[in-house]
Amino acid sequence: MIEGLFYLLLFPGLVFQVVCGLGFEWVDRKLLALFQRRVGPPWYQPLADMIKLFGKEDLLPTQANDLIASLLPLISLSAVLTAGLYVPIAGFSPFSFEGDLIVILFLMSVPTLSYYLAGILSIGIYSVLGGGRSLLQYFSYEVPFLIALSGPAVAAGSWSVEGIMNAQFSLGSFILFQPLGFLLALIGLIGKLKRDPLDIPSAKSEVIGGSLTEYTGAKLAFWHLVMNVQAVVGIFLMINLFLGWTKFHNPAIALAVFVLEVLLITGVLSTTSAVFARLRIDQLAGFGWRILVPLSIAQLTFVILMGA
Amino acid sequence: MLKQWMKKTYRWAQKKSLWVIHFNSGGCNGCDIEILDLLTPRYDVERLGIIAEASPRHADVLLCTGPVTKQTKDGLWQIYTQMPSPKWVVAVGSCSNTGGVFHGSDTVLGGVDKILPVDLYLPGCPCRPEAVIEGLLELQKRISEND
Repeated sequence: MIEGLFYLLLFPGLVFQVVCGLGFEWVDRKLLALFQRRVGPPWYQPLADMIKLFGKEDLLPTQANDLIASLLPLISLSAVLTAGLYVPIAGFSPFSFEGDLIVILFLMSVPTLSYYLAGILSIGIYSVLGGGRSLLQYFSYEVPFLIALSGPAVAAGSWSVEGIMNAQFSLGSFILFQPLGFLLALIGLIGKLKRDPLDIPSAKSEVIGGSLTEYTGAKLAFWHLVMNVQAVVGIFLMINLFLGWTKFHNPAIALAVFVLEVLLITGVLSTTSAVFARLRIDQLAGFGWRILVPLSIAQLTFVILMGA
Repeated sequence: MLKQWMKKTYRWAQKKSLWVIHFNSGGCNGCDIEILDLLTPRYDVERLGIIAEASPRHADVLLCTGPVTKQTKDGLWQIYTQMPSPKWVVAVGSCSNTGGVFHGSDTVLGGVDKILPVDLYLPGCPCRPEAVIEGLLELQKRISEND
């Protein structure tokens, strides 16, 4: 009982993931600033933003439903936090079971649908546009993302993230055998997190703030938290599925390797957002269905044939 | 004691995270170019926690440039009312302080303070980026001392 509460609230649950989310935002913004030869924000910046947003006035357009608008960020936050419970952290996963990869992928798609609903329900021209774009983007990246992530599962012969991670000790990191799958999963993750170059639903110069244009105060703070925790869970998932090698008898070594891999993926994400320009939504839809889906199916077929 | 501490923390957070929305109500674009300089590597206001927001709903500070014309006064008022409080207005440049060279024109009402309560006046034609940073730092100081 006490143990379960500890797992849920402290590690690897609420507190750990929120701290990681804020830390991720800072590292990301700082790296982006360094790429642009700026100084960048101080380490407490995401925390200050969060506290300030919680103290601001809560406004919504008069036609919007306040109850649903408040529930949507909370539902998405609980979904991504629950997904984070099943992802092993440095080999530690108290709730792991066979098939938790499917549960994680399902829970990770809840924020996208909530984001769409938040845009449609807050009745502003920019939020409706952002909501529609987010749904179209979802249909473009989600299929190759899912097929790419099933590659490691098929190769390891297990649908639990812990099982896939353990299988890489005997088989070697899956990024060596499925570099294409890793690339496709990375593109899918960028699309899921709505980061540059796939920040089409929240592009500042086109649709102001996307779905969140009309959101203020605590609701906006929760949405920012959802995005950051989602990024953290996504990065942890990628590490466990493609890099592996995070479980050692000595916890210090395991933690060091894990942190190193997290920083590696974060660096790749920041570099991508600094280097590439934004795609148009029709370009993304074409790219997703004409290039990413066939490539991911080819990758999966290759994995199945090699395994047989 | 706890309440005092919470208040202090909140003031600190407000001070360290000023999100700015910028509106030109009819000026010549000189001040706007100087304000955009703040985002460049040379000045980089993100190190002070200041970022430019596109939606008035997300913003804390309204940076006004240019005199208020009869055409734009409704737009300016709408942007101000859409911002959630606590919010501040900073008038950047001579035109938005008093109307500047447009003072007395038929189509111009005058400075921003004809429409909105202004917290800080930054003169200059155009106002230099260093002066804008100085003004925003002064605003931060006032926020932390405000009680």
